[in-house]
Amino acid sequence: MKRNIQVLLLLFLGVGLLHISLLTDLYLRYVRPGLRPALIASGVLLIVLGAVSAARDGFPFNRPRTHHGHDHGDGHGHAGGPKVAWLLYVPALTILFLAPPALGSYTASRDDATAPKAPSSGDSLFPALQDTGVVPMSLNDFSARAVWDTSRTLKGHTVRLTGFVTPGRHGTWYVSRLVISCCAADAQVRKVRVHGAAAPPADAWVTVTGTWHPTGKIGTDDASPALDATMVTRVPAPKDPYNDMVVTRPGRPGR
Amino acid sequence: MDSDVDIAPPRERGHGDRASPRSPEGAGGLPAAARVTSHALIAGLPVVLLGVVAVVLGPQITAALGNRAVAAWRTVFTAIVIQGVPFLLLGTVVSAAISTFVPAWVFTRVLPRNPALAVPVAGVAGAVLPGCECASVPVADSLMRRGVAPAAALAFLLSAPAINPIVLVATYVAFPGNPQMVAARLIASLLTSVVMGWLWIRLGREEWLRLPKGPTRHTPGASRAEEFRVSLQHDFLHAGGFLVVGAAAAATFNVAVPHSVLRLFSDSPWLSLPMLGLLAVILAVCSEADAFVAASLTGFSPTARLAFMVVGPMVDLKLIALQSGTFGRAFALRFSSATWVVAVLSSALVGWWLL
Repeated sequence: MKRNIQVLLLLFLGVGLLHISLLTDLYLRYVRPGLRPALIASGVLLIVLGAVSAARDGFPFNRPRTHHGHDHGDGHGHAGGPKVAWLLYVPALTILFLAPPALGSYTASRDDATAPKAPSSGDSLFPALQDTGVVPMSLNDFSARAVWDTSRTLKGHTVRLTGFVTPGRHGTWYVSRLVISCCAADAQVRKVRVHGAAAPPADAWVTVTGTWHPTGKIGTDDASPALDATMVTRVPAPKDPYNDMVVTRPGRPGR
Repeated sequence: MDSDVDIAPPRERGHGDRASPRSPEGAGGLPAAARVTSHALIAGLPVVLLGVVAVVLGPQITAALGNRAVAAWRTVFTAIVIQGVPFLLLGTVVSAAISTFVPAWVFTRVLPRNPALAVPVAGVAGAVLPGCECASVPVADSLMRRGVAPAAALAFLLSAPAINPIVLVATYVAFPGNPQMVAARLIASLLTSVVMGWLWIRLGREEWLRLPKGPTRHTPGASRAEEFRVSLQHDFLHAGGFLVVGAAAAATFNVAVPHSVLRLFSDSPWLSLPMLGLLAVILAVCSEADAFVAASLTGFSPTARLAFMVVGPMVDLKLIALQSGTFGRAFALRFSSATWVVAVLSSALVGWWLL
């Protein structure tokens, strides 16, 4: 790879990283929010590296480096960068011009929901829900309670869940989320079956209000989370599609 | 040199064709101005071209990419590359710093002369490099260039992504109330890296290891900073290309193989161990996150999950790609398969003892 092409690649990659992390929130489609400072720092470093190389090499031309002793006789050639680096243009241009969407119902429908872990000790991990009004809950919290909570704290409450639509078999559908711990490659599925409402189009983001629909024997792997919906509302897709947390008012436990 | 020949003539011709009718004499200011303009033109041309392609063909390309499996593949591929780049950059910065600023005697002074003793020391030293596995390959490469025994550098390569504090804290968080898992991961990973180092001393052959000829280090006349820059740029672009290869392979498996297939094997304790070991190879999850993935693999025995966390930072598709780029394919295939076996065995041993 010629030196001027290397410079261009460094600049593209640096600008691409800044584009997805600093200027937009596109990076949230791929990695966890905590990686943002690292991405910005990498973008800046790559741009600086590219700029210095550009100045040194007389970008956009390959200025012969006569002041360097190793220009000749090295098999690589002074301008010869690694050929394999060409491949880096694919992600660099992808994030600049054709950023792929966040993972959605395709991924969610192919994997079984990984039921959140059973709490290790008693029911103390499931504090009682607030008594009045509609309780906004994360899919994670709802599924954990629906599957493992033998004291049935969900009973008699109206809850509100937010997620995207994943169609199931025979006209069933789920309100679902993908949860990542590092990047989209390790996405895990959370999904809650919705009863009593027609399925919105796949991948549409919805808020589902309803009551718990007990399924299977609670406290065993047999149980699965489900909801009797009273209302389904379309909502705009959130900025961070993988963040299942529900913003709670301070002072109230819950997620 | 050939590159200069490729690029320069069109420029000369362009100048001649356009500039000469107006100023045949080539007045003092004009050539400079023309040169700057042509610089700007040539630099801007690819950007404009790509922009035009993206805008004009955008809808068609998006439609072709609208296939949901393709879209998922692109997302996973991009995600793996994006989360790998900062760590790769960190690793190449450290390795470029080692090869330009740290004198070779530091390593001979710090590490025992006897390679058999240097291996465990290097393995424990892996704890100081915070980051995931992408960072450790260039660092191990620069250590070898600086005269560290290959066996010791390889032990470092294996242990660094597995036992650094960030990874151990992540493991502790992922397995609440289960500190044995952290201890088991630390011990099994160290054991694997030390055993692999000793195996290399015993069975390894120098000719499998092909250290690439990067830009020659220590060029007379070049400043340290310039050397650092050239080596950083070369190493990053080189390793980055292989990261892309590894990410493509990992994304393909990630999208093509439903993870639920593996649950078929969760009942058999003896099959689940190598199965999760294989899963770690094809998923290529970064070592700072694999504890969370392991924690989510409910239904598998703790020992099998331990195997997932021990194998993951040492052998996976993107690491194999990175290693074959840095050390050669002959090395990467042998080393990775031996490491996989040793890692699975040592997790079985440690799991049986501790979990």
